[in-house]
Amino acid sequence: MNNRISSNMMYDQSVFLMLSRQSKMNQLERQLATGQKLVTAKDDPVAAGTAVGMDRVLAELEQLGANAANVQNRLGLQENALAQAGELLTRVTELTLEANNAALSTEDRKSVSAELKSVRDALLSLANSTDGSGRYLFGGSNDGAPPFSSIGGSIVYNGDQTQRQVEVAPGSFVQDALPGSEIFMRIRTGDGSIDGSAATGNGGQGVLTNVSRDGSATWNGESYTVRFSGPDTYDILDELGNPVGGGTYSEGQDIVFQGLRMQLTGVPAAGDEFNVGQAGNRDVFSTIDRLVQALNMDTATSADRTAQQNLLQSSLRDVARASEKMIDARAAGGAQLSAIDNAASLREANSITLKDSLSQLRDLDYAEAIGQYQLEKASLQAAQTIFTQMQSMSLFNMIR
Amino acid sequence: MPSVLSTGTSALLAFQRALATTSHNVANINTDGYSRQKVDFATRSPTDAGYATVGNGTKITDIRRVADQLAISRLLDSNGELARLQQLSAMADRVDSLFSDSATNLSGVWSNFFDSISGLSANAAGSADRRSVLDSANTLVNRFKSMSANLESLGSEVNNGLMAAADEVNRLAAEIAQINGVIGSNVAKAAPDLLDRRDQLITQLVGYTGGTAVIQDGGIINVYSAGGNALVVGTSASKVTTVADPYQPERLQLALVTQGQTITLDGKALGGSIGGLLEFRDTILAPAQAELGRIAVGMALEVNQSHREGMDLYGDMGVDFFNLAPPKVSAHSGNDPASTASISASYDDLAALDGQNLQLRFDGSNWIATRTDTGVQVPMTGTGPTYVVNGIELTISGTPSLNDRFLLQPTATATNGLSVAITDPSRIAAANPVRASADLGNIGTGVAGKVDVTDATDTALLNQASIEFIDADNYTIDGAGPFPYVPGQVISANGWSLVLDGKPAAGDQFIVAPNQAGSSDNGNATRLAAVEDAKSFNGGTITLNGALGGLTTQVGAAARAADYSLQAQQVINENAQATRDAISGVNLDEEAADMLRLQQAYQAASQLISTADTLFQSILRAVG
Repeated sequence: MNNRISSNMMYDQSVFLMLSRQSKMNQLERQLATGQKLVTAKDDPVAAGTAVGMDRVLAELEQLGANAANVQNRLGLQENALAQAGELLTRVTELTLEANNAALSTEDRKSVSAELKSVRDALLSLANSTDGSGRYLFGGSNDGAPPFSSIGGSIVYNGDQTQRQVEVAPGSFVQDALPGSEIFMRIRTGDGSIDGSAATGNGGQGVLTNVSRDGSATWNGESYTVRFSGPDTYDILDELGNPVGGGTYSEGQDIVFQGLRMQLTGVPAAGDEFNVGQAGNRDVFSTIDRLVQALNMDTATSADRTAQQNLLQSSLRDVARASEKMIDARAAGGAQLSAIDNAASLREANSITLKDSLSQLRDLDYAEAIGQYQLEKASLQAAQTIFTQMQSMSLFNMIR
Repeated sequence: MPSVLSTGTSALLAFQRALATTSHNVANINTDGYSRQKVDFATRSPTDAGYATVGNGTKITDIRRVADQLAISRLLDSNGELARLQQLSAMADRVDSLFSDSATNLSGVWSNFFDSISGLSANAAGSADRRSVLDSANTLVNRFKSMSANLESLGSEVNNGLMAAADEVNRLAAEIAQINGVIGSNVAKAAPDLLDRRDQLITQLVGYTGGTAVIQDGGIINVYSAGGNALVVGTSASKVTTVADPYQPERLQLALVTQGQTITLDGKALGGSIGGLLEFRDTILAPAQAELGRIAVGMALEVNQSHREGMDLYGDMGVDFFNLAPPKVSAHSGNDPASTASISASYDDLAALDGQNLQLRFDGSNWIATRTDTGVQVPMTGTGPTYVVNGIELTISGTPSLNDRFLLQPTATATNGLSVAITDPSRIAAANPVRASADLGNIGTGVAGKVDVTDATDTALLNQASIEFIDADNYTIDGAGPFPYVPGQVISANGWSLVLDGKPAAGDQFIVAPNQAGSSDNGNATRLAAVEDAKSFNGGTITLNGALGGLTTQVGAAARAADYSLQAQQVINENAQATRDAISGVNLDEEAADMLRLQQAYQAASQLISTADTLFQSILRAVG
């Protein structure tokens, strides 16, 4: 311990003390004013680096929310369009059943067919609906022009089959609106896997009302022809025309063969043929066109009427498949909408957790900071008091 | 009687001189580096009166400064270190606030850029979304450039600081050498004020360069820089100057001019504020520039790569989104003039890229790469003329001479050549180049899922391909095959791959064809948005986002370390200063006491003269 200190040292030390207190207070003042613990990265380099990453994730969550709103809008529009399309198809079914009534006059059939045409046009304009920003909802990614157009009397799909995926929460994607081909175009006929039809030249009154698998797995995927050799006997021919079986038929009785089941009403004539096999695809517009065509058929003879019946029956099956397709599409859209809701909850939860962590890293504990500030203030005041006391104490002051 | 008079007079003169010294002390209380002075009294030679020797009063033998060379040396040391840390910390704080303030740093505009790409993926054909991507990309590039410009201006400040410091060092060294000459080899005879002045100048000099002062032959002080280079030896002062870095003329270095030669001083061998400047440039500024550049390079290369895999609104394959200059290679200015070697570099592997500056040297038969900061050799692969080192591909042309040297700066200057290559929003390649579709007559449940581009450079990528199923278990591609099929498997050809959902049936056909102009497909926008989280750096362990956070930590940690060291050094310096002041500082109370003591002694001595006078008068009266 050195007993000697210089006068300058006393001043310097007092000033150094006051300066360091003031600098500490300045730091606290900045923290209190900004509410942040980290004023620059220097205050806590690791926390500052972590905060950069967290800020980015927070911003990303916000952007994903905007993305989700975008998709939600389009899926909502798809939902509306499909709901309307569903109603239109219900109307088609009603009209078909009405037209199927044998008591209906030719004029009535004509008016039904006129309404069907307008339904078809309404369906077409739904299929060409836009998303509100000039893009077509059901065109896949080729959505700058109307995806459905009428060429030579039939509807052609010009869109593509791309279904966009949009990120709505970190790592989770939802599918944008379905391409129109998957809603309006590629619709299986018959019962969805099997379809049947009456041959065009049939002379009897046999109407094919239903075809299906017989519940076993024995169908080999081939097409077969049921040829009546008389009103109550038939042969089964395979694709090459070779007989593979036969049986007797009485009205109202199902014909079961090779894993398939046919329902007929009425009595076919000898030589009448019914074809059963793999169902094909038919777009919903063609299905309605076929209905219209059936209603406009000449029904002078009973054979003509039977042919009309057969066509109507077949179309009813196709309309049912188209309705199912709309329902499936709505369900798929609904699932995506619910995924968006889930994503929103996830984003919200993540965002709260992140903000909490960020707050811990960065935000100031006011109670602690104010306490600290008071403490610093007290010691600064003490240092100032000591300084004034010290500088008044000089021997020179005593010498008079 | 005469002895009383002369004794009194000697005391009066001595005390007068001592009072003058006290007043000198008081007057210099605020003079930097002043050491208090002390008067040494001694008895005058006595007179031998035969019966005894009679004292003859007092005299001043010396007025000396109270100083301890050890305390001065400690303070000198501590001052040099304090100046270095103050400089380092002040400069580091500048970089720290540049990277911390959201108005100047990268993170906000970086975030906006990737948000705009994410927005594009939700509305890929939207012209507003496309415009927003270009705008935010330009903002991001400008921010990269402005940060880089800010860092470069700190580099210029270092240059200016070095030039100013070199002038000061020369002035101080010359003055010290001159004072050395005046003081000569006998410190005891030197004026205390001159000694103080010399110590003060040495303190200032060491504040610039760091180092030590060594007393030689009892009087002369030699000053050496922290690295041991002589700045002042005896009466000769060295001259320092600034010279351009042989690789980078825009970077100044400090050099010593001795005997017509210019010797570049190693930055690590310098202390003081010059050492602080050089240390800042080497350990904080250069790594920050390199890392900032590395992030820019990583972002540009990754975005370009993904962008080239997509298709724009015109139906053309994407081009580079960002322009990027190749890594900078500079030749050493002292390379053999006969050498025709030149090196061109390009980015090869982002995962291996570390931004570290390398020196490339030709040893007569091979090229050797060493780190410029540590001198450690870095392995280089390849046999020439093409080599790969740290993710950079080097192509050497011409004939090198022995010891030809080049500096490779992989990323430090990358932001200079960075720009957005696209001006037309429709040129943004947001769509997948190919799309798949199922034939409308397909009766199976197979739906073509997303097509992924596995090789955008495949020349057949945009050829239409037809996948036909012979039966549910076999397919052909454009007639080739058949290949066995298992539901869910990847089907690939021509640089794309595809997975079918559902189960295809015999006769089903799928077409993979180029996407057409105007497509609103977002396949590639999604890939672009994922770039920020792709692990592209450090051998595939660090994402772009991670690197950005890392840069903030790197800069903050450097500033914090400098600040901690500075705080510690301030305490050490306080102590050293206190120790020196305890010995040499002026204490006013002490001087006041001295003054009183000397005043009283002076009064007493005056009384002696008066007494001698009284004695003399009484004798005169007795005689008269």
